[in-house]
Amino acid sequence: MIARIGGGVLGAGRAARELWIVYVSTLAGVLRRGGARGELVRQLHAIGNKSLLFIVVTLGFIGMVMAYEACNQLGRITGDYSQVGGQFIRLIVSDFGPTLTAMMLATRVGAGIAAEIGSMKVTEQIDALRMSGVLPIDYLIVPRFLASMIMTLVLSVIGGLVMFGAGGLTAEHSFGVNPNVFYDFGQVRPRHLILMCIKGLAYGAAIPVVAGFCGLRARGSSEGVGWATTAAVIGGSFAVIVLDFVISAAALFLTGGDL
Amino acid sequence: MIGERLIVAVGAGASRIAQEVGGILILTGQVLRALVPPRIDRRELVKNLYKMGNRSVPIVALTAFFAGALMILQAGPFVKKFGATSLAGYASGYAVLREIGPILIALMFSGRVGANNTAELATMTVTEQLDGLRALAIDPVAFLVVPRVIAMMVMLVVLTALGDLVALLGAAVVARTMLEVDFSTMYYSIVDNLRPFDFLLGVYKSVAFGAAIAMSSCYFGVAVRGGAVGVGKAVNAAVVASAVSIMLLDFLLTYLVGG
Repeated sequence: MIARIGGGVLGAGRAARELWIVYVSTLAGVLRRGGARGELVRQLHAIGNKSLLFIVVTLGFIGMVMAYEACNQLGRITGDYSQVGGQFIRLIVSDFGPTLTAMMLATRVGAGIAAEIGSMKVTEQIDALRMSGVLPIDYLIVPRFLASMIMTLVLSVIGGLVMFGAGGLTAEHSFGVNPNVFYDFGQVRPRHLILMCIKGLAYGAAIPVVAGFCGLRARGSSEGVGWATTAAVIGGSFAVIVLDFVISAAALFLTGGDL
Repeated sequence: MIGERLIVAVGAGASRIAQEVGGILILTGQVLRALVPPRIDRRELVKNLYKMGNRSVPIVALTAFFAGALMILQAGPFVKKFGATSLAGYASGYAVLREIGPILIALMFSGRVGANNTAELATMTVTEQLDGLRALAIDPVAFLVVPRVIAMMVMLVVLTALGDLVALLGAAVVARTMLEVDFSTMYYSIVDNLRPFDFLLGVYKSVAFGAAIAMSSCYFGVAVRGGAVGVGKAVNAAVVASAVSIMLLDFLLTYLVGG
């Protein structure tokens, strides 16, 4: 029992060290301007454009659900729907937009990166890269890291707007809330927008690093790739939740509760 | 030229989605057929219940704790501004029990168990173990898929009920430490304002989410082609399909039964 716990702790410590090394080497690669030129554009397309439909569908539905639940609950207490839209967009900008987008991207993009890099690892293509004098992290992870940071932010904005739009339609259809009243951006303050950018960039940075780390650790053959992909999805989603908590708590603390 | 390519892309995407949905429905039919009369391999079922349920408790508990904490952080500014400590438990509990809890736990379950299950079945498929079973006159659907589907549906319900409790605990702890709301205030705020139905709606949702995760993860595992690369792609497709169906079902269930 003690040996098992100790083994687990040691394994976690080693994994954390490796993850840290991948992260630092990625940052170093960014500073060195590593990675091929065309690769960044290709990754922007693969991570951003190809996720657009997925993000629009999932965030659209969740926006409808959230507006429905909020109106439903308010109807039970006060029956005054005039504040729903303003508060909804405030919450979307400061939290739900970037966080839910990143949760979705952690499944789609994180799993994709881990599957791709994991397959390259088990078919020894990574070793071949190293042998040709190319740093695998510069060549593979740096473009994905930059592309993911940019595209998570862009998709957060799009996803948030889709959520708000879909929520407004639901509120009008099910509760008769006037769209002119619902679509009210007055509650959004600059600090919410700053928070959104911080969150989007932090999540966008975390997902490819975690996924790349899981892919590079893949061992064996198809089983190893499957394991790496699974680990990337859990690791990425969990990283998003923890980062959300840390950033939200820090923001609440720094603004003295006036968020 | 661009128009032509767009039409081709849309058509190819639509036919691929139709093929996947059809495959999932056919597999669902086969699973239902294998349940009449019920012949379930008990050893396989118990093994999967343990592997999918017991071993997911830590990640589900951690996710739920953070989910509850996050909802309190979002309610924090209102609580501070209006001094509405008696509403903190109500607002966060409502969001956690009906939406955030079931959705986040299902997404984590899809990453941990669904993706793992796809990887395992896909590895068996590409190493021709399923053909081996068929050669021994054992139906792979009845022997491998049915116990997994049942185990996932049962365990997601159990884990959601457990996770809801942990999430409320997380909310109470963060409310106590960051907003100075007493545990007893939180307790009465939750107990007095929420109905048993708010909790039950989340549990109903988890039944549907469990079925969706189980069917899509088993389908992509069985339908995989090509070696290690195929396994990675199958896991990726399975988590994406699960995420989309979770959001879709969440909307439908909230709209239809969530009055």
